[in-house]
Amino acid sequence: MKTRMIWDKIKSKYSIYIVLVVMFFICWLANANFVSIENLSNISRQISVGTILAFGETILIIAGMLDLSSASVLAFSGVLSVSSYLASGSLLLAFFVGVAVSVVCNIITAIIVTRYNVPTFIATLSMMAMARGAALLYTNGQNIYQIGDYVEFGQGYVLGIPTPVIFLAATLAVTWYLLKHTVFGRSIYAIGGNEEAAIASGINVKGNKMLAYIINGIFVGVAGVLFMSRNNVGLPNGAVGYEFTALTAAVIGGTSMSGGIGTAAGTVAGAFIVGFLDNIMVLSGVNSYLQEIVRGGIITLAVGYDIYAKTRRTKRKLGKINA
Amino acid sequence: MKKILALILAFACLTVAFAGCAPSQSSAPQSSEAPSASASESASQPAASEGKTFRVAYIARAQADSFAAWLANSIVEEAEKYDDITVDVFDGQASDDKENSLIENAITNKYDAIVIQPNNGEAQRPYAEKAVAAGIVTITTNARISGIEGASSVDADPYAQAAVNAQLAVEQVPQNANVVVLNGPPGNFHADQRRKSWQAEFFDKRPDVKIVGEEIANWNKDEAMNAMEVWVQANDKIDAIISMNDNMAAGALEAVKDNPKFANILAYGVDGTAEACLLIKEGKMTSTSLQSAYDLAAKILDTLEKLLTGEETQIDTDIDCPLITKDNVDQYIEMHKKAGAIK
Repeated sequence: MKTRMIWDKIKSKYSIYIVLVVMFFICWLANANFVSIENLSNISRQISVGTILAFGETILIIAGMLDLSSASVLAFSGVLSVSSYLASGSLLLAFFVGVAVSVVCNIITAIIVTRYNVPTFIATLSMMAMARGAALLYTNGQNIYQIGDYVEFGQGYVLGIPTPVIFLAATLAVTWYLLKHTVFGRSIYAIGGNEEAAIASGINVKGNKMLAYIINGIFVGVAGVLFMSRNNVGLPNGAVGYEFTALTAAVIGGTSMSGGIGTAAGTVAGAFIVGFLDNIMVLSGVNSYLQEIVRGGIITLAVGYDIYAKTRRTKRKLGKINA
Repeated sequence: MKKILALILAFACLTVAFAGCAPSQSSAPQSSEAPSASASESASQPAASEGKTFRVAYIARAQADSFAAWLANSIVEEAEKYDDITVDVFDGQASDDKENSLIENAITNKYDAIVIQPNNGEAQRPYAEKAVAAGIVTITTNARISGIEGASSVDADPYAQAAVNAQLAVEQVPQNANVVVLNGPPGNFHADQRRKSWQAEFFDKRPDVKIVGEEIANWNKDEAMNAMEVWVQANDKIDAIISMNDNMAAGALEAVKDNPKFANILAYGVDGTAEACLLIKEGKMTSTSLQSAYDLAAKILDTLEKLLTGEETQIDTDIDCPLITKDNVDQYIEMHKKAGAIK
């Protein structure tokens, strides 16, 4: 009886990680090449840009907001970063420009959201159009080639670890620390859980929302630099749809779209579930059209199981209270 | 307060709607010269009277698509050489619906000519026919919508573009080779025709060649790179990358650039982008064929001039698709340098 309860507890609390582990072994069985160090390092590199965006989304969704503009802002800050590198030759400056541009875009969004109470969906939807337009206007719709050493950000290695993975780990650590160990973290859980109650208990709601967007801005800027560098080109029309990759990773990882719930580790798990899936399907040569169907189906299955495991536990608890 | 806001918003909507019909100074950078006459003014003028300038609406597929943007820029540039033609560029934003309404607007606005770069030929066909029926000179380009009575077309032949590369590959690709294939968006005329051409001109003639991976990478460099990174894991030997455009070929090469196992990989593309030319120069890419936006633009303007002045009534023409290899790449790099795409 007791072991069963413990198992139930593990199942409900760690259900998404169980899904991840099960998927890992299925992929292993499906294709022997899957577990090679090289392949796993590939997957980590490929999901890095989307996952860094997903950390920003996780923080925003926990606070009851979201960002549809992240992929467009990524493109805008990325091309400006690339061209500032070409103009100055300084990698540090280019990195700083990328992050700064993205932070400014996010501050504008945050002002619209906090001061004028515009719903985040609308505010970030308009930023999505504006940032993409700005990226295209700035480059006249043309790609920026010959970006030289700029590729070091996304294609380099430090102590044998690919740089995107290092950025991924760093942003994971920052997100985890912010959510778990800071007043800011506790505040945004409170705001997302019940904004009225948060205001009543004296939490600086507007300030924390602004801060959430600034942090999102930093992550988006980093992702922009990584994306352009990985592709060895300034792509004003790049990363289209990445905002949904990011939202998907966050939601599969157990972040609740209604706010107040979510973890950094869950988001990483969500990102890896999608990453494993995409990887194994290309590795096994699954038909491109079929891939879309499988992807949709597995996402529903993973999230469905996660919710099922959690609600069963709640029901059992409630049952105990009644008895 | 709310009422005032509503009024302002309504006014803003109207302004935007009108701006959409008649591009004003704000869209000047996109047009060959800022249209001086307002829509109503010029609409009341007889269209083809002597000494007048002809107003041309260019409906682009999507300004966010780098080739489409290159073509739009080239058309605006080329139009500056013609005193009697002004071009206004409209952005179809990769949406059939948007593009169709832009064509309707242009008809209502009584443009002398409408040039359509379809997002999806069949979806724009009835609207192109409407333009013809309204007596407006209509040209479809990149890709042409064929078989419209009275309409003209300027295009590159996607089958031939892929075929020149495929014919080279038939000789270059080693016996029993493993190859990977990168496809454009399904349903896209150029994507489908290029793939069909590779099938007939290469795969059917070389049954010994094995396709070890085939993916849709939607013309995108990043998607192609991801696919190639995975294929490299599954296959020790990949002899050639067969890509329906240069962006995807460049993405696949990016994935293997530091891998000695694939140092001698062959890579074929289409488009002749600046990046591809540089890769061919470096010896990393094998060949591509040029789909020159400059050539297309020059031919479109030439066709427009002939049709608008009544010299001819219907023209269907194709630009050449020269093969670019290491032997002749320098002249194309020079072309891209002149255009400012590379240094």
